[in-house]
Amino acid sequence: MSSLGPLPTPARIALLVLLLAAYPAVFPRTLNFGFSLLLFAAMATAWDLVGGWAGQLSLGHAAFVGLGAYVSSLLWTRLGVPIWWGILAAMAGGALLAWAWGFVTFRLRGAYFALSTIAVAEVLRIVANNWADLTGGPEGISIETLPAPFGLNLFSRTVQFYLALALLAVSLLVSWRVGASRFGAWLEAIREDEDSSMALGVNPARAKVLAFALSAALTVAGGALYAVHLSFFEPHGVFDLQLSVQLVLMAIVGGMGTVFGPTLGAFVLLGFQEAFRSTFQQASLFIYGVIIVVIVRWAPDGLAGRFRTVWRRARDGRRALDTVA
Amino acid sequence: MTVVTLLQTAAGGILTGGVYALIGIGLSLIFGVMRIVNFSHGELMAVGMYTAFVLFRHLGLDPYVSLLVVVPAGAALGVAVERLLLAPIARAAEHTAILMTVGVGLILSNGLLFIFGAHPQTLLASYSTATVRLGPITLSLPLLVSFALTVVVIAALYLLLTRTDLGRAIRATAQNRDAAELQGIDTGWIRTAVFAIGTVLAMAAGVLLLPLLYVFPTVGSAFTLKAFVVTVLGGMGNVVGAIFGGLLLGLVESLGASFGATNYRDAIGLVAFLLVLLVRPAGLFGRSRV
Repeated sequence: MSSLGPLPTPARIALLVLLLAAYPAVFPRTLNFGFSLLLFAAMATAWDLVGGWAGQLSLGHAAFVGLGAYVSSLLWTRLGVPIWWGILAAMAGGALLAWAWGFVTFRLRGAYFALSTIAVAEVLRIVANNWADLTGGPEGISIETLPAPFGLNLFSRTVQFYLALALLAVSLLVSWRVGASRFGAWLEAIREDEDSSMALGVNPARAKVLAFALSAALTVAGGALYAVHLSFFEPHGVFDLQLSVQLVLMAIVGGMGTVFGPTLGAFVLLGFQEAFRSTFQQASLFIYGVIIVVIVRWAPDGLAGRFRTVWRRARDGRRALDTVA
Repeated sequence: MTVVTLLQTAAGGILTGGVYALIGIGLSLIFGVMRIVNFSHGELMAVGMYTAFVLFRHLGLDPYVSLLVVVPAGAALGVAVERLLLAPIARAAEHTAILMTVGVGLILSNGLLFIFGAHPQTLLASYSTATVRLGPITLSLPLLVSFALTVVVIAALYLLLTRTDLGRAIRATAQNRDAAELQGIDTGWIRTAVFAIGTVLAMAAGVLLLPLLYVFPTVGSAFTLKAFVVTVLGGMGNVVGAIFGGLLLGLVESLGASFGATNYRDAIGLVAFLLVLLVRPAGLFGRSRV
């Protein structure tokens, strides 16, 4: 820890990305798992912008995952718009939705906002399920061909892995920039006490909407990448409340409002899920339930916070001993 | 659409709405006293369904009779969850409690999935498809019985809240926790009692719905959402409002479905819910109260 301590955050992000870049060479057989780790880490980091830094508990981020998956793949399969333009269009659409959604719902605080996010995601799922002419209905969408930018085969698991890594790097950098900026300080002030933050000259409505739109755009990009990876998906898989809850859990388990917390949480949770897959089979979310209860009960600041506390205690304890000696 | 079909649809909607009300009341009571939005409410209902289902399958116990087992079991489960998991975080931030109930819900639904498997099952009692004719209208017998029992349960709850010391203590705690504490009320145990009552109501609603629905482990999540809709329509923490919210949701769903929006049945309630949240966050019936 002490050797990593003085290292500036961007250098730590670069180090993490470099380490992860070696994954396909070391574990070539588990690229799907590696892709999930990175994608979910990126989306959990995106969630944390609004959920952790701004303290607005969104339980409807699956709305953005689904939006990214549907908009980008429909633009490609229906209109032939290359998938990267589709992703950009979907990100703009997601940010716009978040802006409008935040504009009307951020008057609601606490539980009310959380409830409204679930309702929005559910309504989108029901629409995707029933508007069969546009979305293919419950049968979903199947992506059979993909364009090949610079000769890259987007169906290749290795290419998808590095795209997810790029998204994670961008998410971490955004999270770091937000955390280090005045904007991040506004968000933290809002999280701690919205009324006092207004007294200090912060405009909570504007700051929250901006954080929400930023979070949405990154999550939408993750959803689009997820669609490419799955190449076949249906409304239930991408709009599900469980998916929203998973992202929230990763951020909380790792530590909300920290740059690396959500990534740590994603790795821990997906690791557990993979390890217990054969034990619980289809009930693999059981282990999520157990972890969330244990974390909320005994480590409410997440693992990152828990480590910090334990480490500080150990350090202070050692110093105390040094003084005595 | 003829008048008779309209009446028929409306009557069916109101009867279903009664059971929605039962689920919503528990959620509203818990929010009113504990300030916790219980995200495991539908899952508790599913546990009630499966308890009655197992009692029927293995002991041949009639679902309505099994209420005699489910009610005390629900009270015990509610007390255990509150004492072990919710009470220790009572003073923490609001989102902590939400997450805890999300975790409890995941454990319950995936536990059921683990034990019973994912395939939907149905309980076929002798009266499952029986109907009663009321003039030109035909009503499902189990739905009618469920509604009647719902009325009984709500009446009992009303008496409990207005005529007993426990009820007075609950209402006092909902109004002002600190003031209630100063009157010598152990508000910690009141919260436990309220969570137990809410759990009993949810599990009882599950039993009442059992003869009418397919039962599968994730049946609860749709009902958690319905309970949210009911309580927000009626005003969070407003028990009387939740009754009307439940009847309204049942009516709107049933009429909406009969006007050709069958596939959007669940969306109707959610859109109404969003609109109420935005326009009248205190609910359709004004001030929040228990």
